[in-house]
Amino acid sequence: MAISQNGRAAWRDGKPPAAQFICGSGRGPAAFAPLSGAERTGVFMDLMEKLTILADSAKYDVACTSSGVDRGGAPGALGSCHAPGICHTFTADGRCLSLLKVLMTNICAYDCRYCINRRSEDRPRAAFTPEELAELTIQFYRRNYIEGLFLSSAVLVSPDYTMERMIRVLELLRGPHRFRGYIHAKTIPGADPALVRRIGLLADRLSVNIELPSEASLQLLAPDKQRAGILRPMGLIARTAAENRRELAVYRHAPAFAPAGQSTQMIVGASPESDYQILQLTEGLYQKYSLKRVFFSAYIPVCQDERLPALDTKPPLLREHRLYQADWLLRYYQFSAGEILSPEAPNFDPWLDPKCNWALHHLDQFPVDVERCSYEMLLRVPGIGPKSARRIRTARRHGRLGLEDLRRIGVVLRRARYFILCRGYAGPGRLSRVTVARALLDPGLFEAGVQQLSLFDDPAGRLTGPDSPALPAAAAGEEAAAWLAQRM
Amino acid sequence: MACAADVVYQYDGSFEGFLSCVFESFLRKEIPFALYPDRAVRPTLFPVRVIPTNPARAARVFDSFEKKLGTRTRDLVTRAFLNDSPDKELILLRFLHFAYGQGPRAPWMQGHERVAPVLELEKAVNGEAHLLTGFVRFEQRGGALGAVIQPRHFVLPLLRRHFCNRYPGEDFVIWDKNHQAVLAVRQGRAEYLELAANPDLPPPDPEEARFQAMWQSFYDALAIPARLNPTLRRTHCPKRYWACMTELRDQL
Ligand code: SF4
Repeated sequence: MAISQNGRAAWRDGKPPAAQFICGSGRGPAAFAPLSGAERTGVFMDLMEKLTILADSAKYDVACTSSGVDRGGAPGALGSCHAPGICHTFTADGRCLSLLKVLMTNICAYDCRYCINRRSEDRPRAAFTPEELAELTIQFYRRNYIEGLFLSSAVLVSPDYTMERMIRVLELLRGPHRFRGYIHAKTIPGADPALVRRIGLLADRLSVNIELPSEASLQLLAPDKQRAGILRPMGLIARTAAENRRELAVYRHAPAFAPAGQSTQMIVGASPESDYQILQLTEGLYQKYSLKRVFFSAYIPVCQDERLPALDTKPPLLREHRLYQADWLLRYYQFSAGEILSPEAPNFDPWLDPKCNWALHHLDQFPVDVERCSYEMLLRVPGIGPKSARRIRTARRHGRLGLEDLRRIGVVLRRARYFILCRGYAGPGRLSRVTVARALLDPGLFEAGVQQLSLFDDPAGRLTGPDSPALPAAAAGEEAAAWLAQRM
Repeated sequence: MACAADVVYQYDGSFEGFLSCVFESFLRKEIPFALYPDRAVRPTLFPVRVIPTNPARAARVFDSFEKKLGTRTRDLVTRAFLNDSPDKELILLRFLHFAYGQGPRAPWMQGHERVAPVLELEKAVNGEAHLLTGFVRFEQRGGALGAVIQPRHFVLPLLRRHFCNRYPGEDFVIWDKNHQAVLAVRQGRAEYLELAANPDLPPPDPEEARFQAMWQSFYDALAIPARLNPTLRRTHCPKRYWACMTELRDQL
């Protein structure tokens, strides 16, 4: 692609192609004045080509949810938001696609080792103009392709300059287009706090990616970024949002600052942290910065570098899956990180989901009487989720509950029956831990849907050899049972 | 107490018609063997009683839902009726006989054999409506937006609420091909039409193809090859929706 080759060449030494491009603090209309060579080629490229490049560059960002805010439509405006979020389609890898997820530009001044957009990588570059991107968002939105926009960007020239351009897109959408759909914007680490405030008043959700689970890894793999530079804006967003909530309580019509809260993302498997460390960090982030979500992204090798896993390393999808399960336990099941993992057992069990694993190690607390026990305890029973727990809580006020009732309520008895008592059922009797463990084996691992997980990744190193196909389900089940028996 | 009767009710398939059946069933203190809408009459060994739709009776039944059974039951029954399963009428009728005995607490007895199946019906309708709020694809045709859907359940009324709210300034049409019904919204006024034949839609606007192509390449660009998982995609987005989805119909 001749055009982008030009663009890249200008950036080879890692400096912005034209010095006049860095205009003071990067604020004010001057920031939108003359375009650099790189940018000009990017700008005059066909929109279709840009979209393809800038979507491809954004695809490793996992957060694509449109949740957290309810906003009805309004006469003369376009769009609304639905708090649970709406998935508009699912990509071939099975992920929900809800937002127009693109980068403003992938021309980057930084050189993060794990990133396809780093300046030393040879790849096509492009940049949207704010007008183009706003128009594209509206046209996609009208056709119901998307819930809104997820805008992120590589660091073009400087963090401030980049943020200015992003803000411009949001201003066009919220202003002239009167767009009431969802907007998720990524703040650029190192940007002026005033810009963060401005973008927060336009976006529904803000995120700052923590990128890697520890300071040391960040230093090693993202030399241009600093942990403080990431945590500072996170703190700023949390504080501003809290102030804003107080303001809104007094003045109902005060503009809302990031009403859907903030989220973050970290890469798993590019650096050596244990699951326990990652989960502790996650819990800390929820508590300290009142994050709405922490996303995990299994590292997919995109660059050859001795500090990173080799290019043929499979992404640790099972590990990512377990992290999300544990994250649910933190957010919806009232677990703490220390209950799920510990310094002695710092990594997830490949065969058991974290909740079953906890239950197996606390058999002394079971069985519980579902007609009487606390809601918190209901949540801890394998096979009972928040929804069925809530249903049980309501239903038991209006009548007695037997196994059949529980099944109809949505309890997975295959798992739950080892842990409960109810009307006409006096519990499982005395069972060995291995028997129970066998019944709790993560069925997902052996079903076609998630078998992919075991194909790509098996922490126990048992399911598959590096290049061999997955074992047939039955054999894999036997293997798993043997492994569990050994561990119990 | 109503007892099981060896009779089949036949009605016109409308909600009013169903409420008339409910009236009939309470009047005679019987629960029929089955209730069939006209369009789905099956040969049966039992005598068929045709229940004419009676708006006055239907209104009486409907009013009594709220008065005697509470708003939750009223909404539950209304919503569950949109389900297309062949035994929905019987499930609803059996539930109603149970509910008039229990009063407003009936829908909260979620594990009960008369209640759980109704909640299932409702869940399926809500679930499909929610999926479709995302999966509907509009095309710009002759200045208005047009979409085709092929849902299992009759979710148009639920989609109306969603899209009228979302696109207050747009005229749009959603054609439910499976139920031969159209929702047309012009200048904020919605109307439903039942169709005998396929509607004539104006041809797509010239710029339509460009946006569809862009959407397609955006969609393709976003998949991560190292994570390919077609089964997972089908679980979340079942193939029966693909025919009406711009980015997926070519992959069928
Ligand atoms: S700043 Fe780092 S992570 Fe972000 S686009 Fe540039 S190289 Fe990639």
